[in-house]
Amino acid sequence: MSGMARTPAKKTGPTFVDRGDAWCVVGAGPHGLSALKALLQNGIDADGYERESDVGGNWNFGAENSRVYESTHLISSKPFTQFPDFPMPDAYPDYPSHRQVKEYFGRYADHFGLRKRITFGHDVVRAVPVEDGRAWDVTVRDRVSAQETTCRYAGLVVGNGHNWSPKIPQYPGQDSFSGEILHSADYKGADVLRGRRVLVVGAGNTGCDVAVEGAQNAVHTWHSTRRGYYYNPKYMTGRPSDQVADSLLALRLPLAVRRVLFKTSLGIAVGDLTKFGLQKPDHAFFETHPIVNQQLVYYVGQGDITPVKDIDRFDADGSVFVDGSRADVDLVVFCTGYLVRFPFLEHEWLNWKDDHPHLFLQMFTPVYDNLVVTGLIQPDSGQWTLAHWQGILIARVAEALRTRPALAHGFLGRAAAEADRRYSAGARYKDSTRHYYEVAHQDYLRALQDAIHELEVSA
Amino acid sequence: MSAGNPLRRKTLAMRPWDWSFPSQPVSHREVISAQPAEPTGLPPLLMVHGLAHAAWCFGENWVPAAAERGFPSYAVSLRGHGGSAGARHLRRTMTRDYVHDVMQTITELPEPPVLIGHSNGALVAQLVAERYPLRGLVLLAPAPMHSSVGDLVAIGRDRPADLLRAVVGQTLSMEPDILFEGLDPQTARAYSDRTGPESPLVQWELLLRRKVGPVRCPVLVIGTPADRLVRPADVQRTADSYGVEPVWFAGMGHDVMLDTGWDDVLDTVLAFATDLPAWGTAALR
Repeated sequence: MSGMARTPAKKTGPTFVDRGDAWCVVGAGPHGLSALKALLQNGIDADGYERESDVGGNWNFGAENSRVYESTHLISSKPFTQFPDFPMPDAYPDYPSHRQVKEYFGRYADHFGLRKRITFGHDVVRAVPVEDGRAWDVTVRDRVSAQETTCRYAGLVVGNGHNWSPKIPQYPGQDSFSGEILHSADYKGADVLRGRRVLVVGAGNTGCDVAVEGAQNAVHTWHSTRRGYYYNPKYMTGRPSDQVADSLLALRLPLAVRRVLFKTSLGIAVGDLTKFGLQKPDHAFFETHPIVNQQLVYYVGQGDITPVKDIDRFDADGSVFVDGSRADVDLVVFCTGYLVRFPFLEHEWLNWKDDHPHLFLQMFTPVYDNLVVTGLIQPDSGQWTLAHWQGILIARVAEALRTRPALAHGFLGRAAAEADRRYSAGARYKDSTRHYYEVAHQDYLRALQDAIHELEVSA
Repeated sequence: MSAGNPLRRKTLAMRPWDWSFPSQPVSHREVISAQPAEPTGLPPLLMVHGLAHAAWCFGENWVPAAAERGFPSYAVSLRGHGGSAGARHLRRTMTRDYVHDVMQTITELPEPPVLIGHSNGALVAQLVAERYPLRGLVLLAPAPMHSSVGDLVAIGRDRPADLLRAVVGQTLSMEPDILFEGLDPQTARAYSDRTGPESPLVQWELLLRRKVGPVRCPVLVIGTPADRLVRPADVQRTADSYGVEPVWFAGMGHDVMLDTGWDDVLDTVLAFATDLPAWGTAALR
């Protein structure tokens, strides 16, 4: 089948096409691209679908579902973040901007000839298992003409992202608030903050970025967080701090030792956060997704940001916090994260329990062998090295399903039993929807590597 | 990946040292290139030189000749060599830095290339091949992955002073009679004079026994029976590790891209590059 460039149905084409042994990849963000490339590279025909007119997914700044803002830069340095077989250019800085990232994905797609395999400007409206689960009928809709086309595929890879559907909290009195409420999903740059009194809610990396931009642009900024956190610097000893951190991992130091080293070095670099009026972290290091922000503490120290506790309620002029203090504000920015959504799939196919899917290796559902989710991970490090290896594993599975079904079924047969395994390198993550998809990169990558070896064994 | 092959290992995703101590880039990389008159659909060729050489050794004959035959052709100077930056740090340069340079050069090409490595450049090319899905891999008089201690012993028997110099960190001798068999003495001398210094760390690293992960692209191995740097037995062993038979060119020296008969070698390489299967469909090695 490979090598035969059968064009997927365009809007003038037939409304049903059987693509035989080919696989379908939904989404042309980094995970979709790497899966598509890995399949093609291993001789498995594949088509990609993307709702926008370009690759990049979340990094396609300005696109409807892109969630990057004007100042977004990577918070993990290049070596962890890039595709291992397609390093970022030497000319890029340690922490590239979202524009460079998008350009990088474009070059990746061009270099590996992926664009001609992707049908752009199409929404996937539904995917249905057929032939007893041996194939998938994927229906796509042209976003311009609204014409629908259905193609049959031997397998389905879902890389539709998990950072696009905003999670908006509801507090008492929120509707009576007379100012503006914005979710970070719609935050594109600092203009909206200028000259206003701003409350930023949430201490994810976005929340911290927006709070810092508030300090630089707003009249005053309040930053509400549920708990205290560790704020990691981007650099230590002149090197990107994740590279310093991974030197310790490379030495295979145990978690307890790494915690002590980190707390000590952070104590020297930043110091006691409570002296700045920030809350004391209520958890040990590595138990929450790392925040990389060198500027937040600085602006708290300058008095431009007032750290406040969790919101109790809103009134017309602002919000009251759980400790009884209040802030009168013009704008609230909820940096409260995103919900994972698969609008074209039934939840039960993804082993959905307690409002999120439970997947073997965060990828494979016990329900269908040929349904794979890619990118449903939030690593404590760069993302696209993991995207690459997820892609390679998908190709190995697709290959095995075709040529060595016993091997594939032996591997995928563990999906139910291992669906709840976490890859946290020993740490216990704080139970929050934010950490459903958290993985410790070294732990998770080792698991991917082992899985790839298992499927390569008798190659 | 044949089971029990001593030069093979499984796919390596974990590279913590590469992440925490990445190769530091240099400011400029020299890439010599020539394009066919019109697009031919043939894959690009990227050529990587060996110890003390630079892109010029391919730029001399192969790059223009291959372009004339329809192949977009490139040759890169590794850092500290030829027109590339990094001479000042040459003594600190390691093989991983060369791998970095080649990977960077590949990402600048329009599509996956056939990678052609000569001597130590062939070793670099194999390390690239386990990281990147090449269209094809060509190894010219490849420095052995299984340690070149045997070659060094042979050099020591042949030319003890050369061995001694290499051991203390000086560049291996690139005298005309070591590199060439058929060239006239003036040309041979002129080429030999163009070679430069090499990193002592890279030379010492040749003694390491390395393993590479699965290489999924077709491989061509080329050797010369009279090679005075890489013994034919080592070329044979490299070819064995990929399950292919080497192609031998008698009457030539180590520098098969410069010595008399370079066009015959190029013919073999281009025939290989023409017949490659569509990208990524080759069987696992």
